[in-house]
Amino acid sequence: MTPEEKYELFEKYCSEELSAEEKTEFDKMLNEDATLQEELRLYQELHSHLDTTLNAEQELSNLKKNLKQIGDTYTENTTPVKKSKVIKLPVWSYAAAASVAILFGIYFLNPGNPSYTDFANIPELSIVERATAEEDIKGAENAFNAKDFATAETYLDRLLKKDANNTEFQYYYGIALLEQDKFDMATQVFGALLNGNSAYKYKAQWFEALNQLKQEKYEECMLLLKGIPEQSEDYDTAQKLLKKLE
Amino acid sequence: MGNTKPHADQKYIDALLQNDTAILTEIYQKFAPKVIGYIKKNSGNETQAKDIIQETLIVLYKQAKEKGLKLTCPFDAYFFLLCKRKWINELKKKSNNEVTINEGVVSIDDESARFAEETALFEAKHELFTEMFDQLGKACKELLKATFTIKSMEEVAQKLGQSYGYVRKKKSLCIGQLTQLVQEAPKFNQLKHLL
Repeated sequence: MTPEEKYELFEKYCSEELSAEEKTEFDKMLNEDATLQEELRLYQELHSHLDTTLNAEQELSNLKKNLKQIGDTYTENTTPVKKSKVIKLPVWSYAAAASVAILFGIYFLNPGNPSYTDFANIPELSIVERATAEEDIKGAENAFNAKDFATAETYLDRLLKKDANNTEFQYYYGIALLEQDKFDMATQVFGALLNGNSAYKYKAQWFEALNQLKQEKYEECMLLLKGIPEQSEDYDTAQKLLKKLE
Repeated sequence: MGNTKPHADQKYIDALLQNDTAILTEIYQKFAPKVIGYIKKNSGNETQAKDIIQETLIVLYKQAKEKGLKLTCPFDAYFFLLCKRKWINELKKKSNNEVTINEGVVSIDDESARFAEETALFEAKHELFTEMFDQLGKACKELLKATFTIKSMEEVAQKLGQSYGYVRKKKSLCIGQLTQLVQEAPKFNQLKHLL
């Protein structure tokens, strides 16, 4: 048997294309030849290895991206703020500080319905990774952090045209829209995120809840708040808002 | 791993397959501190620890995807053991000197150790397969990618502008060549002893 014939036989065996007769004959050969048996086993293993790896490339790269994001957020949550370097507080610390202040405010001053401004803590956008980052990235970051949301929207829109699946861009794009009261567009952006599986899933859900709150659609808002899981960093604030609404 | 009922921590393995952010976040919250602490004590920093954690999770994903990994032991010790081993390998790669390790206090039961062993073996094999696949010629790589991702052979033949018969035959020859490459690799013989 030439190597060519051997591998064709292996392939047929793997894809179960041998006739009953061929199969009997092949089994007999295998029984008599341990080396052949061993080689077939490796061939089968490689066959299934290729089948899974080549088909899961996209899935794997999505998982890697998501793990990276989760890992990065995790560090931000645990690393104490460095004293010397650029003053970049982790996003949640603004939220935590602001929500304490706001809750105080609401508690004492405002017994009526909670409002969007009471609860919306706009996170800092930080996407410039290198000094030479492209113009749009710098522009988006500057405008967003200066609360010039119309300009930020333009930049983020342009970035998303180049990198439509970037969930970080999508998330901040949604916030920029919401800040300008472009409710429906914001709902579309957050909706896509919260139906996805990225690190921004529940952050988007929180902001979509705020979107409903801003439009005074309290029922919808509460429904969204109830879906925010305990592990999410917005859980506590969401629970507080929920209590106010109930 | 037989038909034993999977451990409740199988949810972490499933989360990797489903890319489930909430549960993956939980993995970091529950299991990362121990790994980071260990690596920091052994000449590493937090960033390096995070890389090790991510790489380990990716290996688990691959093992689950290819081999249907089913946990029958808790995730905790198993995962820590894998990260620890990966870090020690990393240190060894960097320096040819002896590596001194401050052992963390973790009790490892036999089951976790057995699982970790199996995963390490899977990873070594997976690496070897990938390495050998890269050594194949361009034509073989393309043909294999096409035949495994496009299910219909007729379509593949059309796409590559070849006859159906040729594609079929070439597929078996390419996997055959890969089989030979793996068999001839010195690493494979080392692994075989462990199988």
